Amino acid sequence: MNHATLFRASAALFPPPHSTSSTRTNVTDNIAIDGRNVNFSITTRQGKVVPILRDCSLRIPSGQFWMLLGPNGCGKSTLLKILAGVLSPTNGTVYVKRPKSFVFQNPDHQVVMPTVEADVAFGLGKFNLTCGEVRSRVSKALDAVGMSDYLQRSVQTLSGGQKQRVAIAGALAEACKVLLLDELTTFLDENDQIGVIKAVRNSLDSSEEVTALWVTHRLEELEYADGAVYMENGEVVMQGDAASILDFIRVRQSAYIKQINS
Amino acid sequence: MIMNCTFPTVTFPAIPNFTTSTISACPKTLHVTSLKNPIPFLKPPNKINPTKLKLKISFRTRASVSDSNGGTGNWVKWIPTGAFSISADKVFRLISGATASPIYQFVSSPTTFLHSVDPRIKLVWLLALVVLPARSHIAMRFGLVIFLSFLSIWILPRHVWMDQLGRVSLLSGILFIMLGLGADGVTPLVQLRTPPPAMMGLPKLPASLGGYSYLIMKLGPLQFTRKGLSVASIAACLTFTVFQSASLCLTTTTPEQLAFALRWFMLPLTYIGVPVAEIVLTLMLSLRFITLVFDEVRNVALGIVSRRINWQHLTMMETIDIFVIYFRRIFKNIFIHADQISQAMIVRGFRGDSKTHKIYFLSDSSFGMADIVSLLCLVGVTGAALLSDYFLV
Repeated sequence: MNHATLFRASAALFPPPHSTSSTRTNVTDNIAIDGRNVNFSITTRQGKVVPILRDCSLRIPSGQFWMLLGPNGCGKSTLLKILAGVLSPTNGTVYVKRPKSFVFQNPDHQVVMPTVEADVAFGLGKFNLTCGEVRSRVSKALDAVGMSDYLQRSVQTLSGGQKQRVAIAGALAEACKVLLLDELTTFLDENDQIGVIKAVRNSLDSSEEVTALWVTHRLEELEYADGAVYMENGEVVMQGDAASILDFIRVRQSAYIKQINS
Repeated sequence: MIMNCTFPTVTFPAIPNFTTSTISACPKTLHVTSLKNPIPFLKPPNKINPTKLKLKISFRTRASVSDSNGGTGNWVKWIPTGAFSISADKVFRLISGATASPIYQFVSSPTTFLHSVDPRIKLVWLLALVVLPARSHIAMRFGLVIFLSFLSIWILPRHVWMDQLGRVSLLSGILFIMLGLGADGVTPLVQLRTPPPAMMGLPKLPASLGGYSYLIMKLGPLQFTRKGLSVASIAACLTFTVFQSASLCLTTTTPEQLAFALRWFMLPLTYIGVPVAEIVLTLMLSLRFITLVFDEVRNVALGIVSRRINWQHLTMMETIDIFVIYFRRIFKNIFIHADQISQAMIVRGFRGDSKTHKIYFLSDSSFGMADIVSLLCLVGVTGAALLSDYFLV
């Protein structure tokens, strides 16, 4: 884990508040996530270097709900992990507003405590809160994902979708500025998918500063987003507002279908 | 040996299809002359009689059986019994169908009296129930067993207590019988070196006036003595109380509450440098991790079962190989899981110091009516157990 690069990046992007010389101050005020020329590659056992991300650049303005789209294996999750600081990029700089929180694709990796309540409260351990505050935050977060009846249930008795919601509640309880969400709707049925998206959307709407980056490959989720980034083969192909990305993908899809049919 | 020797002597090896099919179909009505163009060397000599032919056929078929199996090379196939390969299948099926929570299961509803008792008091109760059966009168021991059974029946849902009590009583029943008859039951094979009193010219020991008898019951060659009763009752009652009180506690207390109680009792140890915060965090993490391990064990077994392996066709070594693969896979997956959980903890703000990372225990720890009642009961039971040793002799 290379926090040093992150700190360096954020230090460079946070000049002293009264400095007028930097033109970036205005930019960073409303940019929550900024990745520049991010490269990531792994070395296999045979010594071969396999590039996974090539020159990915993306900028996501603060207070918006963005989606990261792309086919399987194009590097969405890797990019998200780099943004979260779980992986460090081989090249390039990353800046993400703090505090940030990251929700894994598989809830079994995220939920670390034996009961629902304790798990949601786990992320709050770094703050110095009173028990009452913690309790109200936990119940609010669980309310947002519709799990308030499961406070004392042990995690192992929950279904995959319920675990997923507990994981999301853990992220919401921290009241972070940036939410990085990795294919949360994988384990959920259609009702719950919409429910979770709405829960995230609500938490964004309730405070101005929260930004969310949501990895998905379901196009119907795009209608809740403010903008989207489309990736293919480890490269950012396009980024923009949700409608134009949707059109772009539709065109590609129809071209592909034509190619198959011809 | 015989088969291999006789095989080359069969008279018509050149066209085996013809010989085997016609002969096996109608060995008695073999008319080679009825063929349109009888090849001369195929023509059997007239002196062949059916019995001799039959003999040869039987040799032939036997030889073919041994041939088709590759001779002696595959003898290993015949060594493992069918039971072994079937049992491997059964083992995996059993594992894959096992319960997800074999150790504990917190029952959150219906909320009962025991749910509202403070976890610290429950821990003291557990300690008392371990110590008391060993240190009190036999009536007290059985009293504790009956008390625990009634408490379980009262507190737990019907199917839970039926299951728990059934298992624990079976275990302690077996222990009681084995120890009761085994502790002092069988007369020693080697005779005592002191000669019996009759040989020494001494009178026999008089029978007890109060009806005391060391021997309680005699079952054929076995005998049930007072020593046996004492050992058996201590072991069986201790087993019963330890298992039943623990499962009763676990079904009515969340893991956090238990961790909270443990931390409370361990807090004084911080003064002598015991890392209490770390121990409690580790306990909580492992309570979650245990269930992941069980899940993993089940899932990998399910994966093997769903491959529909034809166990009968596997040799013993191949079956063992699959078990080895199974265990390797489990360990690999568990380590991957541990790695990912540590990643998740870092992402969620844990920085490796359990003192600065607070763990909040949200359960209500105010002292209520239930706690007072429970404490009074504890004092009463302990007092009765201590007194029973003096008054009931």
